[in-house]
Amino acid sequence: MKCELLAPAGDLEKLKIALMYGADAVYIGGTIFSMRANAANFSLEEIKEATKFAHKIKKKVYVTVNIIPHNKETKLLINYLKELQNCNVDAIIVSDIGVLSLAKSNTNLEIHISTQLSTTNKESVQFLQSIGATRIVLARECSKDDIVDIKQNTTAEIECFIHGAMCASYSGRCVLSNYLTNRDANRGGCSQICRWDFDLNTYQSNKNFTFCSKDLSMIDYIKDMIDNNITSLKIEGRMRSIYYIASVVSVYRKVIDNYYNQNYKINQKDKQILNNVANRDSISQFYNKDYGKNCNYYNNRMEISNQDFLAVVKEIKEEYIILEQRNYFKLGDKVEFFGPTNTIQFVIEEMTDEDDNFLEVAKHPLQKIKIKTNLNLQPYNFMRKVIEN
Amino acid sequence: MKILVMPTTSNQYNLADGIIIGIKGLSVNIPLTIEIEEITKINTEIFVSLNKNMFKDDLNYLEQILVKLNNTNIKGVMFYDLSIINISKKYNFKYDLIWHQEHMVTSSLSISIYNQMKIKAWVSNDITLREMQEIKKESKDELFACMFGYLPIFASKRPLVTNYLKTNNLKGNSTYIIHKENKNYQIIEDKNGTFVYTDFILDGLKETENLNYEYIILNSFSIPEHKFKEVVYQFVNKKYDYKLSNLFDNLGKGNLYQNTVYKVK
Repeated sequence: MKCELLAPAGDLEKLKIALMYGADAVYIGGTIFSMRANAANFSLEEIKEATKFAHKIKKKVYVTVNIIPHNKETKLLINYLKELQNCNVDAIIVSDIGVLSLAKSNTNLEIHISTQLSTTNKESVQFLQSIGATRIVLARECSKDDIVDIKQNTTAEIECFIHGAMCASYSGRCVLSNYLTNRDANRGGCSQICRWDFDLNTYQSNKNFTFCSKDLSMIDYIKDMIDNNITSLKIEGRMRSIYYIASVVSVYRKVIDNYYNQNYKINQKDKQILNNVANRDSISQFYNKDYGKNCNYYNNRMEISNQDFLAVVKEIKEEYIILEQRNYFKLGDKVEFFGPTNTIQFVIEEMTDEDDNFLEVAKHPLQKIKIKTNLNLQPYNFMRKVIEN
Repeated sequence: MKILVMPTTSNQYNLADGIIIGIKGLSVNIPLTIEIEEITKINTEIFVSLNKNMFKDDLNYLEQILVKLNNTNIKGVMFYDLSIINISKKYNFKYDLIWHQEHMVTSSLSISIYNQMKIKAWVSNDITLREMQEIKKESKDELFACMFGYLPIFASKRPLVTNYLKTNNLKGNSTYIIHKENKNYQIIEDKNGTFVYTDFILDGLKETENLNYEYIILNSFSIPEHKFKEVVYQFVNKKYDYKLSNLFDNLGKGNLYQNTVYKVK
């Protein structure tokens, strides 16, 4: 069975882009019961549309129902779970054993266990399987040894995060947000206190203390993970941009496909793309049991806003394309367009606004720009700065 | 109602009806962890909290300890990691199991599912008093709740303080306080990771009167011994009108009267 590439989707547009750029499945949240309460999220109608779209191209949609509910929320759950079944979703992702139990007794939904439950060993996996879970999303704290031991001693499907932001704590064991901002971390309201600066009292220095972790990137270990029969490789980030989703998914798609085509390799450009699209450094974190000082930020950290993303292709006309601007570019710039399977370099020699007024620079976010070209492009191809090998 | 103490020293073993202790290597956020051999010397009702997240390398030791505990007179084992349920199923241990995923025990629904597996619940401090009372009304089994002490609010596998010290070429010990907006949070690091506690001491003395849980837990972590003794006395003797503010100036009610929010847009 080919390893699944699983991508996040915060809304329908992101879902379509994730699938278009090579994800085998996406995970999404509904407007209730999802751990990203402040993402755009999906109404039931949109979930229905999402599954219809995905199934048409033989891909899957999983829906997160992964908050830790209080009593008042549990009363709404049965109907919601039945609605999800009616939407024909491929699985739900849960953290709470009560939610799991309701889903088992009222629906035929397939059940995956969220990383929020911090599953780290084979005994826990066996228990969760025994109560009806088919897939376990492992805690990001698992090392390679832990993952291999689980895989070798259980029959559950195993899903591992391969890319994106990390919690500083064990998922589910941090309520800093509850006590510092009154926002419930285990019901989707996390206010990311781990990114705040604190003073550590012993030291009267100007060096702040934070809990802030670097991001995860498993780009160098994909072969390893597929060799160990991991069922699904998961990308974090339901609140990330369409450009981020397209860039990250397309890189991992290529690496996974190369593995199955006996042509496994990771080129420097792909690493550079992942590096540029993130706003924090990325490392392999707990996989190699390395969680020393290089995994954290403590001071003078800058989250750099990415400016590689120049525009998105919105329409293709006979002799020109219509772009929507995201970052500054100008005549004479060498850029590259990328789509799900190809990258084409291009020099901008002429561009106009929507009313055909000539432009020397594109400097207004979301401005529509027309560029004359006969390149073979599609809507939702992206234009970015050239990333060198 | 029984009062359980989480002691810091053996002097506190007999202050109330029982104690909660940890076992070295398998417990976190527990003020006193001991070697299993010492348990037989303790003469009170004992609960053992094995609440660490367990990894491959912990499992053999964990199983050995669970088996050894079955040969003692402990009343129950409190757990975070679900591996403990699976291991227990193989042996059918005589002691009780108590679900204590500290921030996840928040609904009657989930508690009832664990109750069906003959597992009791230690209810979270992240819900309101009213929600705790509702759970009591709907519960068919014994319930536990902590009503006094600093509350754990963060647990990481990472050695965050050590990483900070190394990054900045500083030397230190193991106990620190982090500050934010005039509030102080204790941060502790040990070989299991890094842990943070609330800036306030939960004062649930008055509320205990109307909670009606079978077990009320008092945590001695970072509380001076003589003051803790006084606190336990008030709970044991049901002096619900006593003002703990006579003893402490950083008391708080936590979430007892404050519902958290999660949708802000």
